[in-house]
Amino acid sequence: MIELRHVSKRYGATEAVHDLSFSAPDGQIVGLLGQNGAGKTTTLNMLTGYFPPTSGQVLVNGMDMLAKSRQCKRCIGYLPEKPPLYDEMTVRGYLRFVCELKEVERRAIPGHVEDIMAICGLTEVRERLVGHLSKGYRQRVGIAQALCGDPPVIVLDEPTVGLDPRQVVEIRQLMREMGKRHTVLFSSHLLPEIQQLCQRVIILHHGRLVREADMSELSGEGTTLRLRASIAMRERTLLPALKGLPCVRRVKVLPTPHAEITEVELECDRQGGERGDPQTQLFRLLCGLDAPIRMLYPLGDSLEEVFLRATSEG
Amino acid sequence: MISIWKREMQGYFCTPVGYLFMGVFLALASVMFYLQILKQRSSDLLTFIGQMSYLWMLLSPVLTMRLLAEERQKRTDQLLLTSPVSLPGIVLGKYLAAVTVLLLTVALTMVYALIVAIYGQVYSGELAVGLGGFVLQGCAFVAMDLMISGFAGTPVSAAVLAFGGNFALWIMDMVAGSVSIGFVAQALDFFSLYARNEPFLMGQLSFASIGYDLSFILGCLAITVHALDSRRYRGA
Repeated sequence: MIELRHVSKRYGATEAVHDLSFSAPDGQIVGLLGQNGAGKTTTLNMLTGYFPPTSGQVLVNGMDMLAKSRQCKRCIGYLPEKPPLYDEMTVRGYLRFVCELKEVERRAIPGHVEDIMAICGLTEVRERLVGHLSKGYRQRVGIAQALCGDPPVIVLDEPTVGLDPRQVVEIRQLMREMGKRHTVLFSSHLLPEIQQLCQRVIILHHGRLVREADMSELSGEGTTLRLRASIAMRERTLLPALKGLPCVRRVKVLPTPHAEITEVELECDRQGGERGDPQTQLFRLLCGLDAPIRMLYPLGDSLEEVFLRATSEG
Repeated sequence: MISIWKREMQGYFCTPVGYLFMGVFLALASVMFYLQILKQRSSDLLTFIGQMSYLWMLLSPVLTMRLLAEERQKRTDQLLLTSPVSLPGIVLGKYLAAVTVLLLTVALTMVYALIVAIYGQVYSGELAVGLGGFVLQGCAFVAMDLMISGFAGTPVSAAVLAFGGNFALWIMDMVAGSVSIGFVAQALDFFSLYARNEPFLMGQLSFASIGYDLSFILGCLAITVHALDSRRYRGA
């Protein structure tokens, strides 16, 4: 597990990260989300020991990064925003070098490098010079070097930036695979990427943590509840009744092929009021109107909404 | 440290840098050998070694310019600094790689001694002392230029600054000779790498000079480690 406790980082007079505390539990893919300049890269650099925080503590598996830097660094594989590659080396030579740096046992290195190249799809370019590889392959080599030494924690800084759509899909698939064996912490400003890959999200804004939650928690928060319903009643009769409900703030009619069926999206006050929660109020209303409910379910908040809310509040 | 040394050796010989250094050094040394030894029918190898020592000033920046400045420029230092390797280990690995190339080059210059030995007299003890001083002086230049590479932002600026530093050391010698204020002249003379090399060029094994050269090397390496560490703390 990796944990940051009240971590701050100052560059001269500028405070890039302020009193940041969060943790990434074992076996999860955790996304660090924030706009450009939110402090994501600074946070990851401190977390991996590239530079120390101005104040606060970084813990890796319970060990302090400053006090036991060597042991902590053995537990982390890091892909910075720009992969740290030596262009004059072959892919295999480079990965061997990284394995030596990560103190992999000498005899185990050849096999380990072969395994990593197979996982990352690099076997066919193993003897090519890193400097001659395409951007997608370079990114794969960058991820491969993070896997050297089989560290329990993998940290990736914007791993899909600058890649074409196909490469993005491939790298995301690779990250999913990594998530099965490692704790993966990665930064991104791409909301769909976080939504697709993460079990937990940490939102940073101006160097401060503004939201930390499991992805499952994100649906069902805020004061607004959105419901989608399909009701066997004509729109003309149904709409005034729905708008008359005290908890309903807004009604949006969705197109349907049948005139007798109306499909709506309702924005309701989550609290509902004295008459019960919005679903109960709606159910009672429609029972009274003798309008059968064909479908009714709550719509989760999109990450985009959560992000916008968190960053505007922050 | 060994892995860093190996990578740097690969860096020297998988790119033209190592060959360039050795090639230019040997080409210039050969011209000096022709002018000093062959043309004058002399067997005075110590004077020839003394002349070769000026090549460190010119060429040592070629060896060191990439070592730290390029890591910083290409951000490959992120790999080294987030790996379980200590800062002294990184600096020492890089330094020893540069020294290895330097020693290989000096080993090739033994051909000149061989040529002189065929046609004349070579005093092996004198030659060994002269070469020892020559190597120590080269190692000191490499240490200083590595330190400069640690401060520079790009390999080109590292090379220019290192050459400037080496040139300043050379100038120091000339300034020391023309300064009339006694203690200033003494101080300049004390710190001069060239003045320190003079006993070796006379065939004298000077422990004071060895001590000075080793202290100079260790001092430069310690400052390099400190510079890298302080940059880490600043997050620069």
